[in-house]
Amino acid sequence: MKTLLKNRKALVGLAIIATIAILAIAAPWLTEYNPATRTGRPHQAPSMDHILGTTRIGQDVFARVLYGARTSLMVGFGAGLLITVVGTVLGIVSGYRGGKTDEVISFFTNMVLVVPNLPLLLVLAAFIGQASPVVIALILGATSWAWGARVTRAETLSVKQKDFVKSAEMMGEKQWRIMAFEIFPNVISIVGINFIGSVIFAIITQATLEFLGLGDPRAISWGNMLFAAQKASALSVGAWWEILTPCFALAFLGIGMSLLNFAVDEIANPRLRTGNRLGRWSLLVRNGEGRL
Amino acid sequence: MAFLLRRLGFYLAAFLAAATINFFLPRLMPGDPIQLMFSSAGAELPPESLESLKLTFGFVDGPLWKQYLTYIGSIFTGDLGRSIKYFPLPVTSVLGHALIWTLVLMGTATIISFVLGTWLGVMAAWKRGSRFDVIVSVTSIFATSVPAVVTSLIVLFVFGFTLDWFPNGYAADPSLDPAFTLQYISSVAYHGVLPMLTLCTVLIGGFTVTMRNNMINLLGEDYIVMARAKGLSDRRVMLWYAARNALLPTVSSLAIAIGTILGGSLVTEVVFNYPGLGNVLYQAILARDYPVIQGQLLIMTATMLVANFIVDVSYVLLDPRLKAA
Amino acid sequence: MSQPFLSIKNLTIDYIGDETDFRAVDNVSFDVAPGEVFGLAGESGCGKSTLAFAISRLHRPPALIRKGSEILLDGRDVLDLDPKALAAFRWREVAMVFQSAMNSLNPVLRIEAQFYDVLKAHLGLTKAQARERTAEMLKLVDINPDRMGDYPHQFSGGMRQRIVIAICLALGPKLVVMDEPTTALDVVVQREILQRINELRRKLGFSVLFITHDLGLMVQFCDRIGIMLGGKLVEQNTAEAIYKTPQHDYTKKLWASFPSLHGGVLA
Repeated sequence: MKTLLKNRKALVGLAIIATIAILAIAAPWLTEYNPATRTGRPHQAPSMDHILGTTRIGQDVFARVLYGARTSLMVGFGAGLLITVVGTVLGIVSGYRGGKTDEVISFFTNMVLVVPNLPLLLVLAAFIGQASPVVIALILGATSWAWGARVTRAETLSVKQKDFVKSAEMMGEKQWRIMAFEIFPNVISIVGINFIGSVIFAIITQATLEFLGLGDPRAISWGNMLFAAQKASALSVGAWWEILTPCFALAFLGIGMSLLNFAVDEIANPRLRTGNRLGRWSLLVRNGEGRL
Repeated sequence: MAFLLRRLGFYLAAFLAAATINFFLPRLMPGDPIQLMFSSAGAELPPESLESLKLTFGFVDGPLWKQYLTYIGSIFTGDLGRSIKYFPLPVTSVLGHALIWTLVLMGTATIISFVLGTWLGVMAAWKRGSRFDVIVSVTSIFATSVPAVVTSLIVLFVFGFTLDWFPNGYAADPSLDPAFTLQYISSVAYHGVLPMLTLCTVLIGGFTVTMRNNMINLLGEDYIVMARAKGLSDRRVMLWYAARNALLPTVSSLAIAIGTILGGSLVTEVVFNYPGLGNVLYQAILARDYPVIQGQLLIMTATMLVANFIVDVSYVLLDPRLKAA
Repeated sequence: MSQPFLSIKNLTIDYIGDETDFRAVDNVSFDVAPGEVFGLAGESGCGKSTLAFAISRLHRPPALIRKGSEILLDGRDVLDLDPKALAAFRWREVAMVFQSAMNSLNPVLRIEAQFYDVLKAHLGLTKAQARERTAEMLKLVDINPDRMGDYPHQFSGGMRQRIVIAICLALGPKLVVMDEPTTALDVVVQREILQRINELRRKLGFSVLFITHDLGLMVQFCDRIGIMLGGKLVEQNTAEAIYKTPQHDYTKKLWASFPSLHGGVLA
């Protein structure tokens, strides 16, 4: 955690996410408008009354983007957590137990990996009908754990060989205790990378599903804002604010999450770290203090 | 060879899994599955057409396994049913036509961004810590982290509407007849610029980062150091020792990325009103045209499996250690 | 002692850190005569590999060779070579066998190609000429030349090591640096390879800089030995003197850890 706070990428990423979270929580104080109801004339350009303009049916875009952040964050982190939990449990169990259990789980994992995710989600969501954010989070959790299970399994296989696991086995420790208290803490960095990656995936996918018209249109979320704007041909009629606002919100959150992702990657894999030393090195070479 | 055969068997199983999902999903939903699947058109469908649709999707009298076999049978005879929105067009012809556009768009974008991204990754890793590396790495982070929906909308807004440099939709000028004429092909290319630009932006960062990280992990290997000690040119070491070897894990990550590429391509097509699978699917979703929605899962899965198989083959060709096995 | 072939003077190498630097090699000086086998001993992390890398200038940032250091080869300072001269100098004058020769060969290139690129870069040989030379070199290390079209993974560890040595000698270098060349191999193969190197050295007349943590092995193989500790060269002398009358406490301690060798197996 300390190393995370020292990393510049991580700090910027965390700051972006924190900003969005604070704006989402403080939404009722930042805007007087109800995001769901008509509060002005349709497609009004940004003005003092409506900072980011209004939608085709006269809802306030600023209010919608603030409240929508709540949905994006909750679905992102909720589904991300679900994906990570399923992937981690399956990965550790199959890696540690080995044998038949491993064969079965690995087979399913590999299978899920080659069935394209978005088309599968489209079919699921289409049959479910208008999927609310909670339902979207659930189906994401059910279908997107495979990558996490695979990398966690690989890591478990190497941890399993370590002496402390062997000694716990010798002492007759129960299997679930070994997995929970010996293996899990040692694959935590993979779990962390998996979690952040899953959150990014969940945010993007939720927005995509809703944009394609598979979400519950009553839910206030960035994906639904895009869907509504696209349906209202916002770009063609010149209502750029209606479409660019959720665009930038999503891009901003995506960039924040990715910065965090890369920072965690660098911390888990020291070879990728650049740090300060290369700068110091160049300076010394330039000053004639040495060479290669 | 045994390796490739094993992969083929596995792909067959994966395809069956997708079909199985298609089979059970409507039956697991509350209510009458037949009603659910064909209701949006139920009134307009002539009874004999409805009967044949029911047969295709395995809604026959008899136990579940018999229904399942009927459905699998119709899939493997190439019958995916008929579109309800475009009745009586068969799903295969609705999707088949669209698939060609998607493959052209996706294939070109994948090749361009894979080549360019890999090259950028190689250079960035080789000049580790330089300004070039920093710019490439940071840009890649930004490009990969923005959802495809957002990238396509922004590209459309900037180049399509504000600057008005390129058309905002369609694969070619609708007034032209599709033919192998210079006029038609250049129109296709002109219309393809923005979707292509979007897809490349979405994809390139991932390839760059993967290749850069693989290269950096490899640069400490003994054979790289030995190649440098041999007095080989930097170019030779970089390409034949470092990049050649770093390409192996990059190619296998390409296999996993294909799913993402498909997804990105669907969304891009919707935004640019491009006549590929994405757009057909979007229309199908709005009309709840279930046969088409189900059919696209099978076709997408098949596409993904073929692409995976191509990756497998090239992996075998690139890595002599696998050829022997 | 005759005119030194390799002369290292005041060599200091740092690894630049985020805040502080780590001095891996600290003001080391020694000479190696033509045809001589010079050993560098010390435990891992003492800087001996860092030093070896510097001779062919293989370091990458954040390693830094401090000013004032000199690496003279035939009177020329290696550190002053421009990139072109450096490329020509590498392998032609100083070749290297690395710690794990198993991993020194590129796994996805045929053996032939790994000979060819070095022969082409330095001597401008054609493919056919290179193949001839490759066959000659492989015979020298008892590898069937018919196998030059094979990939590294098709050879055993000991064979791969011999292939690396053959590549090493392909240009007839004047100095061969061997950085723990046999640690990954079992004892029998280890001995075989060292004997082979010794024969080839007598025949071809190159010098060897031999680096290992195994002092026992070193005494059998080297003419003179330097002992490194924490980046410093704490003692250097003839192999016999290092064995019989070690001066520095650390050398004595190193010997104390090899009780079984005191039978005197000096070759």
